Amino acid sequence: MKNKLYSLFMIAFVAIAVSSCNDDETTPSTNNGPTTYNSGDVELNFENIAGSVFLDPTGATNYVNASGETFSVTNFRYYISNVKLIKEDGSKYEVPNSYFLINANDTNSLLAELTDIPGGKYTGVEYMIGVDSARNVSGAQTGALDPANGMFWSWSSGYIFMKLEGQSSASSNNSFVYHIGGYSGVNRGQRTVSLDFTPSVVIVDGGKREAEIHITTDVLEIFKNPNNISIATQSTIMSVGAASSNIATNYADMFSFDHIHNDPL
Amino acid sequence: MKVNLKYKLLLLLSMVVIVHSCVPDVDPPVTQPLFYQPEGFPATSGQLANNPVTYYGFSLGKKLFYDPILSLDSTISCGSCHQQFAAFAHLDHKLSHGINDLEGTRNAPPLFNLAWHSNFFWDGGSNHIEVQPIAPITNPVEMDESVANVIFKLKRSSYYPAMFKKAFGSDSITTQAMTRALAQFMSSLISANSKYDKVKAGSATFTVDEQNGYMLFKSKCESCHKEPLMTDLSYRNNGLDLHFAADPGRARITLQPSDSGKFKVPSLRNIAVSYPYMHDGRLNSLSKVIDHYRSGVIQSSTIDPLLSGGNMSITDAEKQQLILFLNTLTDPTFLNDKRFSEK
Ligand code: HEC
Ligand code: HEC
Repeated sequence: MKNKLYSLFMIAFVAIAVSSCNDDETTPSTNNGPTTYNSGDVELNFENIAGSVFLDPTGATNYVNASGETFSVTNFRYYISNVKLIKEDGSKYEVPNSYFLINANDTNSLLAELTDIPGGKYTGVEYMIGVDSARNVSGAQTGALDPANGMFWSWSSGYIFMKLEGQSSASSNNSFVYHIGGYSGVNRGQRTVSLDFTPSVVIVDGGKREAEIHITTDVLEIFKNPNNISIATQSTIMSVGAASSNIATNYADMFSFDHIHNDPL
Repeated sequence: MKVNLKYKLLLLLSMVVIVHSCVPDVDPPVTQPLFYQPEGFPATSGQLANNPVTYYGFSLGKKLFYDPILSLDSTISCGSCHQQFAAFAHLDHKLSHGINDLEGTRNAPPLFNLAWHSNFFWDGGSNHIEVQPIAPITNPVEMDESVANVIFKLKRSSYYPAMFKKAFGSDSITTQAMTRALAQFMSSLISANSKYDKVKAGSATFTVDEQNGYMLFKSKCESCHKEPLMTDLSYRNNGLDLHFAADPGRARITLQPSDSGKFKVPSLRNIAVSYPYMHDGRLNSLSKVIDHYRSGVIQSSTIDPLLSGGNMSITDAEKQQLILFLNTLTDPTFLNDKRFSEK
């Protein structure tokens, strides 16, 4: 029994190995003929920054926002969900069950791993900041959406899509707290982000290439474009309303495509 | 040989487990299902669709409901504020008392027929029976604990992992499994066996006074306290206040000024045993409640259209009949059901 399994495994292995050899031969970069790529994994790598420098999420570094206020950051987290990869022909591949909680204070969380992506070339990525309304109304969720992660409002059910907390002398109590959410209504906090890689292209070809997409997230953008947010005027936002919606509109463009690692293995 | 021995041991062990589990801590659900659809009730909310009530899920939920491990200093359980003899309300407490004797801002409502609710709390702020428990666990004036730490404590316990395994087939303890177990227990708190229900089923009859009270109820109260749940589960202002700064009610959730002062219409089942009344527990007897409707209705900007005509005309004799009818909504089977009791 054991032996049989083993030999089956070996045959499969050889078959895969052989087929990938064939692939290699027929995949010169300039080839126009039909090419097959293996499905594989893609990593979204989020780098949190403040303007031109890496973000220090320990509260030890001061930054200046668009209103000229000095602040530091002790907590910065956000949900990325409903990831879609955009193919060369413009069609989209929707990554099933893609929910990620990015936490500046947890380096492991900065890598969002997209698995079993169909092989091929991709020129962009689209995702939601926040959590779709379906997952906000369907009871207790698991994984990144586990309410134990502290990104859930229980008194008025729903996920907190983004948390930015820190210290600032502009605030009367020396601190500021922005918790942004809202899954329905005019002040909903979800925003869709679309990032274009061109001229770069991500090639997903499992077993042969590794695809890593580097995206920067700039906290300074939370305070501006198009709405100027002043900590002195509003140091606490912890519910859904016009103020939270203003910040959501700002964070819609806090992401930038930076670069791709797409090295052959 | 070795394999065989292991196999035999395993078999023996599982037999022991099976035999052991035949000694349940509550009556087996053979005679009466834990969850059922009472005759004449509307469709449920559907929130149990992915979480069917099982005997072991219910038992785990009950254990959790009565376990102060869910609070920061292990002093308060769900059952501390939701007592069975008061139809799982907090008897004689206007405002709930939580950890360190801290007072909340609202009266703990009774818990029954929750599978027919889609939203929870006086303002409907919680949108699913599975996420509802997170609110009291994390509320600083209730249990003041973090969900992550509750999960940590449950994992560390000597008996919870086995109970989770029995209930959900896996001993990995998650927020979802914990709240689903609580949802199973709470959904099983069905109250549908009062005298009123028996009269409806044709197995009992109202006295003349009760019957008159029922007719009054039908004409004056039933449009909001709708049969058979005795609530239409909508949010309404029944004229308690002129201003709503102390508690805006439904407006806290919808942010619509037109929802200020509106609260979820409470069920009147078991009403005689679940005093005090109203979202802030301001009225301590049914007599005072009826006095409110006949002489205290305050006209405010969001008063319910059904009450905008002013106070109801209810005579003293009618008031007594109404109270006699309301008493027929008490369900002693439910209040004394050992399956729901702590011990
Ligand atoms: C300190 C007292 C206290 C504790 C402990 C407590 N509750 Fe409550 N419960 C309340 C109060 C007060 C409300 C009403 C809150 C509101 O409407 O804002 C309530 C409301 C509820 C409701 C909503 C009922 C409805 O009709 O909408 C449910 C369900 C509930 N509690 C279950 C639980 C569970 C489960 C636990 C344990 C995890 C628990 N409670 C612990 C006081 C308490
Ligand atoms: C316009 C709708 C409406 C009508 C009509 C109405 N009620 Fe109510 N009732 C409510 C609402 C809403 C509440 C909760 C108000 C709050 O707490 O702010 C309530 C609360 C109550 C309570 C307290 C329940 C509890 O658990 O705290 C009782 C008892 C009650 N009503 C009885 C009656 C009776 C008896 C009548 C008829 C004479 C009646 N109601 C008519 C809407 C109505």
